[in-house]
Amino acid sequence: MIEELHQKLVNKEITAMQLVEDYFSVIEKKDSQIQAFLTLTKKQALEEAKKVDEKISRGKKIEILEGIPYAVKDNILVKSVKTTAGSKILENYVASYDATVIKKLKSAGAILVGKTNLDEFAMGSSTENSGFFTTKNPWDLTHVPGGSSGGSAAAVSAQMCAFSLGSDTGGSIRQPAAFCGIIGLKPSYGAVSRYGLISMASSLDVIGPLAQSVEDAEIVFQIISGQDPMDSTSCEVKQIQDTRYKIQDTKIGLPQEYFIKGLDKEIQTVIEIMVQKLKKQKVVVKEVSISSTPYALPCYYIIMPAEVSSNLARYDGIRYASNSKFQISDSKLNLRDLYFQTRGEGFGKEVKRRVILGTYVLSKGYYDAYYKKAQKVRRLIIEEFNKVFKEVNFLITPTTPTPAFKIGEKSTDPLSMYLSDIFTVAANIGGLPAINLPIGFTKNHLPIGLQIIGPYGSDYSLLQIAKIIENIL
Amino acid sequence: MDFTEINHLLELARLELSNEEKEKIAQDLAKILDYVNQLQEVKTDNLEPMAGGTFSENILRDDEINPQKLNLGKEGYFEVPPIFE
Repeated sequence: MIEELHQKLVNKEITAMQLVEDYFSVIEKKDSQIQAFLTLTKKQALEEAKKVDEKISRGKKIEILEGIPYAVKDNILVKSVKTTAGSKILENYVASYDATVIKKLKSAGAILVGKTNLDEFAMGSSTENSGFFTTKNPWDLTHVPGGSSGGSAAAVSAQMCAFSLGSDTGGSIRQPAAFCGIIGLKPSYGAVSRYGLISMASSLDVIGPLAQSVEDAEIVFQIISGQDPMDSTSCEVKQIQDTRYKIQDTKIGLPQEYFIKGLDKEIQTVIEIMVQKLKKQKVVVKEVSISSTPYALPCYYIIMPAEVSSNLARYDGIRYASNSKFQISDSKLNLRDLYFQTRGEGFGKEVKRRVILGTYVLSKGYYDAYYKKAQKVRRLIIEEFNKVFKEVNFLITPTTPTPAFKIGEKSTDPLSMYLSDIFTVAANIGGLPAINLPIGFTKNHLPIGLQIIGPYGSDYSLLQIAKIIENIL
Repeated sequence: MDFTEINHLLELARLELSNEEKEKIAQDLAKILDYVNQLQEVKTDNLEPMAGGTFSENILRDDEINPQKLNLGKEGYFEVPPIFE
């Protein structure tokens, strides 16, 4: 789709300004119902588009993303644009610099149409935890779009932008991509710089693209990835030289621990049909076992809140989150009260829950039993992944145990909400690249997603295999 | 988890909650801790804790002196704007 738009721009079938106008007319028509966007940047978008048009009319060559409209999850900083992370505590925060991914997209000429809704600080699986409003699933407005990158997924799915960026800490790109029927790539940990991403759990967070096709996701990944001096955990992932990748050379594993009771019957059937199709293409598909799988989610729910409780310490009313209601100059209020009140009023329920849980697992007397234990289990999970990737090249699993659930269905029970990430967290624990591929629909016309997981650093071959499977569908 | 324990955590986290919120959080935490306690079943005797999300270590830039950023004042000390008036 990006390539198509690019050709239209090059061949002057459409101007960049018209393209931006077209997307905004879709936004104006649909977003009052879907509510994917927190902020729209139409004025700047048109100014940027004008520059692209001038370049084209001067007969200059344009790059693949020049003039292509995109959206960004609102936990990624865009200079001079409001960045809330979906939290009341940052309601009026305007970013003072560009995230590395934004810098790269800007210099590639992509055009920002707006910032998308998310669960507060990316904590949630439905956008119901947003401090502002709940985004609706474009396929059925009574259902959630998934989360936390629900706004970014809904925006692409409803064609309100050509692609978008999200962040994935435990499934926050892949799960909403599955619920909204689009592509969502969670790159290898470190493959994309986190500089300018509002930190949630730093050892798990990664930025990635949401798109209409695997090719689009690859185009965006190619531009946003790479080692960055501003993020010491960032790294280069190897590009593959041979693009004539043959699926017959590929061995695919079906980890039996992912095909469990509780997996929706329709999802299971659609995946089984998919596997049959792969076998017809002479792909070796075999059952494998990763016995640590059931421990990935409990491990995640210790490591993640621990890092959250530490990362969110900065929202103290001084460094960030100044609230006009509480002023340090107020003589009745001391510094301690300012901290307690700013955080007590500014954070939503789920954020408070995770900050307290994280504080607990790191506190004296519990650190070894919880945090250290989880760090050891994390290593065990990584070792088991390494072992299984000696047997097979990729793993195929369902992305989610159920299709998109109804708004309100899980919002009162945090644990049932956490369980919707059960198939996606392991890739974050292991730092592995994983992608959601839409492969069908339920009887009620809700999208079904397939997850492909690859070894660490295999992002480009993962994209190749995803493209091949996309074409078999 | 009782109120004393919740209050202790709130103190550590610099967070204010209403009594109603405290009750709900105590219930939620009990359920979540019950769930994550599964990890105690896992044998991890010979495993080193995994700190961070990557095995790579200390990717540092070259330590080059940038004379433009170097503002050495009297006696070779760094000079910074006054913090207290």
